[in-house]
Amino acid sequence: MRPGASLRLAWRSIRGHKLRSALTTLGVVIGIAAVIAFVTLGASLQAGIIGDISPDDQRNVYGWAADPDTEGGPLAGAQPIFSQDDLESVEELEEVEAAYGYAPIQSQSVSDGDEQIAQGDGLIASGPSYIREERLADGRQFEMGEREAVINPAAAEQFEENVTVGDELTITVIGGEQTTVEVVGITDSSEGLSPFEGFESSPRIYVPTDPYYVEQAGGFGIGDGGGEDGAETNGGDGADARFIAIIVEAESTSEADIDAARESTVAYLESDAADASEFLGDDLEVTFQTSTELLQQLQDILDLLQNFIVGIAAISLLVGSIGIANIMLVSVTERTREIGIMKAVGAQNRDVLGLFLTEAVILGIIGAILGTALGLVAGYLGAWYIDLPLVYPYEYVALAIAVGILVGILSGLYPAWRAARTDPIDALRYE
Amino acid sequence: MATTDTAVSLSNVRKTYRVGEPVHALDGVSLEIPRGSYTAIMGPSGSGKSTLMNLVGCLDTPSEGDVFIDDRNVGSLSGRERTRLRGTQVGFVFQTFNLMPRLTALENVALPQLFQGADRVERRERARALLERVGLADREDHRPNELSGGQRQRVALARALVNDPAIVLADEPSGNLDTETEAEVLDLFGEFHEAGTTMVVVTHERHVAERAERIVHLLDGKIERIEELDGVTDELDSGANR
Repeated sequence: MRPGASLRLAWRSIRGHKLRSALTTLGVVIGIAAVIAFVTLGASLQAGIIGDISPDDQRNVYGWAADPDTEGGPLAGAQPIFSQDDLESVEELEEVEAAYGYAPIQSQSVSDGDEQIAQGDGLIASGPSYIREERLADGRQFEMGEREAVINPAAAEQFEENVTVGDELTITVIGGEQTTVEVVGITDSSEGLSPFEGFESSPRIYVPTDPYYVEQAGGFGIGDGGGEDGAETNGGDGADARFIAIIVEAESTSEADIDAARESTVAYLESDAADASEFLGDDLEVTFQTSTELLQQLQDILDLLQNFIVGIAAISLLVGSIGIANIMLVSVTERTREIGIMKAVGAQNRDVLGLFLTEAVILGIIGAILGTALGLVAGYLGAWYIDLPLVYPYEYVALAIAVGILVGILSGLYPAWRAARTDPIDALRYE
Repeated sequence: MATTDTAVSLSNVRKTYRVGEPVHALDGVSLEIPRGSYTAIMGPSGSGKSTLMNLVGCLDTPSEGDVFIDDRNVGSLSGRERTRLRGTQVGFVFQTFNLMPRLTALENVALPQLFQGADRVERRERARALLERVGLADREDHRPNELSGGQRQRVALARALVNDPAIVLADEPSGNLDTETEAEVLDLFGEFHEAGTTMVVVTHERHVAERAERIVHLLDGKIERIEELDGVTDELDSGANR
């Protein structure tokens, strides 16, 4: 039989049972829609978290110390072990262009004159070049040892009158102590500047580690008030403040230079000369990664999540295909007589097989197309609702259609085979 | 093989069903159906009529003996070849019409050509011509449920003829028709026979059988006698067929 004729006959019989065909297709529609919707949401989520920002901090290597068994993203399980001396020594290494600490400071609020805004995080202490020149929309980098800050647009816009370069802000840190900063620069975007911060947009104030972190760490050190029995790492003047993370800039963005910087830094930190080395051991190891590598980790986690969800959706697809198989079996029984007629007038087994298979595949394809449309709409609504940038994974649309065909073939195979081997003599007697 | 004058030939055919005890549905039947003839097969229930029809209709193969259709031995053919032979050389007309419910009259008539790979235009042309010959040219777009019993049977007859078969096999063709429609359909059978079609009608009604040239009487799986309707009755000793 010609394929065109087979297609027409199959379509005729699908149209002949509209409700039944619709219900059969529904299983596939829901399965495919679920896969597409979740994959769309997953891709959008990924775009939302990681963003399409290409890391322009390619020569930076981000380091922290954590239990090697700790899983997770940047700074997971990190302990403050890097001393000011360590940072300075690392910076003097031949392979290293610059090195500076990184530490978030717990704050309570920020005031611009009389206006006070509660802000618990987003106060970040680091080195001047943490804010790269090209990221500055206005002003300049802060200088080490000065009471200066660079803020991002989100932080500036928090106040009724936008904060501009030259304004003075008062920051209240945990414990109620107040300190002032002069705003010397404003960045061009409110997204995070490094993987340590995350990439989402939020108000952030960047300050030099000295004096802010050094003062805070010193101010709260138990050694300060405790007197003689205080731990040696907590000197009264804060000189021994330990940083939770270290950022090392390599000579260039080339892989060789990055690896060289990374290796020599790790070698130094693990040597006896480094203050950090006394803490390092089996339970605490330093990790140095570029932002590309760090993003990869995040990506892996998201992929895992997405695979999990797609797996669940695949189960509903399986249920859908069992539905098609079931309906096709009923349909074969119901049309036994028609099969008998066709065989009596010369239909070969493969003609009958082809007819029923075509029917199942048509149902599968219709299900896939409707499911894809529904899934894209659901993904769109979902992304809109959670406020994510919409990313359509088009390759999955093609995949969905292929799966629809596959589901049709797999679920139609047995019923079609049953139909094909029907004995025409019995079938013609069938009432 | 050169075409002979025999459309269907059975020689010493047995068909045995094994349902516990072996049952001989046909027990040594030999029969020749010449081309262009009109044969009726009669017999009570259980006489082997249906089995004979299935064998002649190429739906089944004999347990013993040979069935030749259009000079081809049905028993020696593969399933595919047998189906092809049936599709091209046998046209069926059933008591219950057996039309495809979702297809129009025209599509029903064209159906057997579909399985022989004919193209759409060719199929429709041929089907339309046959519908015209059975007087249903104006009903080609009607579904079976929109047609009367007589019309349905005429569509079925057109379908049986569409591939120009060696034999048209009718199983109680007027069983579901009233007297008047029955006459119409049987007249049509006569017309096609006149035009050269080989007809075999299985029936248990005498007046239907009498339209044929001869009547084959079956009893207990054997040919009891063959009655030539030009007046001569050819009595057969069933023992002679063993």
